[in-house]
Amino acid sequence: MAATSTPVAALQAALAAEHAAVYGYGVVGAMLTRTSRSLAYTDWRTHEIARDKVAAMLVKLGATPVAASPAYTLPFAVTDASSAKRLAAVLEDGVTRAYLGLVAVNDRSLRTFGALAMQPPASRAAAWRGSTVAFPGMPSQQG
Amino acid sequence: MRAQSQPRSPQTAPAFAYLSSRECMACLEPMLSRRQLLAASPTTLPLFLALSACKGPAVLSGPSPVTDQTTMLLHAVTTEQNLIWIYNKAAATYSSLAPVLDPLLAEHKAHLARLRGRVIEPPGRLVPGAVTARPAIGATKAAALAQLRTAEQAAIATLMSRLGGASPSLAQLYASIAASEATHVTALTRQIGS
Repeated sequence: MAATSTPVAALQAALAAEHAAVYGYGVVGAMLTRTSRSLAYTDWRTHEIARDKVAAMLVKLGATPVAASPAYTLPFAVTDASSAKRLAAVLEDGVTRAYLGLVAVNDRSLRTFGALAMQPPASRAAAWRGSTVAFPGMPSQQG
Repeated sequence: MRAQSQPRSPQTAPAFAYLSSRECMACLEPMLSRRQLLAASPTTLPLFLALSACKGPAVLSGPSPVTDQTTMLLHAVTTEQNLIWIYNKAAATYSSLAPVLDPLLAEHKAHLARLRGRVIEPPGRLVPGAVTARPAIGATKAAALAQLRTAEQAAIATLMSRLGGASPSLAQLYASIAASEATHVTALTRQIGS
C-alpha cells in the first residue's frame, strides 16, 4: 500500500473520513428501525467523538482542521434497511482506510494511534456487512 | 681486440635478494619436479604464504546478518502459523464450530501468505515453516473459542508492538492484520455469548 505522508495530511484525511461518516450515519439511521437504528445511533456518536479528537490533534499540531462538506454524494441510492447497512459498512471501510494511512507516517505515536483507531471501524464494518475481511483498510478490501 | 668477457661468478644468491617470494618460487620450479612440489606443498605452502604475507583464499562468508525488521517479520510469520494450527485443531476437535472458524482460518492463511511474500531478506530458506506452539485445546466449545480469542488478542498485541520498527508499508500490513484479528475477537466473543 501507499507509503508516507505528513502527519497533518494523514490526520486531515482521517478527519475528512470521520466527517463523511457522521453525515452518512444520518442517512443510515433514517432507514433503520429498532435495534439496528440504535446501533447506528451509537456508531454515529462514536464518529462524532472521534472527529472531535482528530480535530483537536490537528489544532495541537498548529493546523486548521478540514471542515465538513455541506453535503456528500452517496456511493449508491439508500432506499431501505439493506442498502442503509451496506452504506454503514462503506462508511466504516472509509474510516478504516483513512486511519491506515496514518500508520504510514514516521511518527511512532501517530502510527500506534492510527493502528488502534482502525480496529473499531473494521469491526463495525464487519458487523454491518455480516462478514470479516482479511485486510481491513487495504485497497483491495474496499467495497 | 675486444676484451674477452669475464666468466660468471658462481655466487649468484645475493642477486636474488630483491625478488619477491613468488619470484623465488618461480626460480625453484625448474629445479624441482612437479611430483616433488606436490609432495612438499602441504608443509611448505604455509611457509611460502607466511613469507609472502599472503592471506590465502578468502574464507566463505556465512549468511548476511538478518535485520531487526526481518526478524520481526519472521516472528509474525511464526505467529500466524501458530494461529492457523490452533484454529485447525479447534475445528477438528469441535466440527460444529467449522462454520464460524473456517472463514477466520481462511483469513489467517491469507495473512500468512502475505507476510511470507514480504520476506525477501534473507533468502526464503530462512522463512520459518514450523509451528512453535501446540497448546491443548479447551475441554469445551466455549473454552476453545475463548482460547482462540486469547490467541488473537496476543497476536494483535505483538503486531502492535512491531509497528515502530517497521517500514511504512510493512507497518500498514501489520496494522491491517491486527485490525482483521480484532474483527475475529469480536466474532469469537459474539459466538461465546450466543
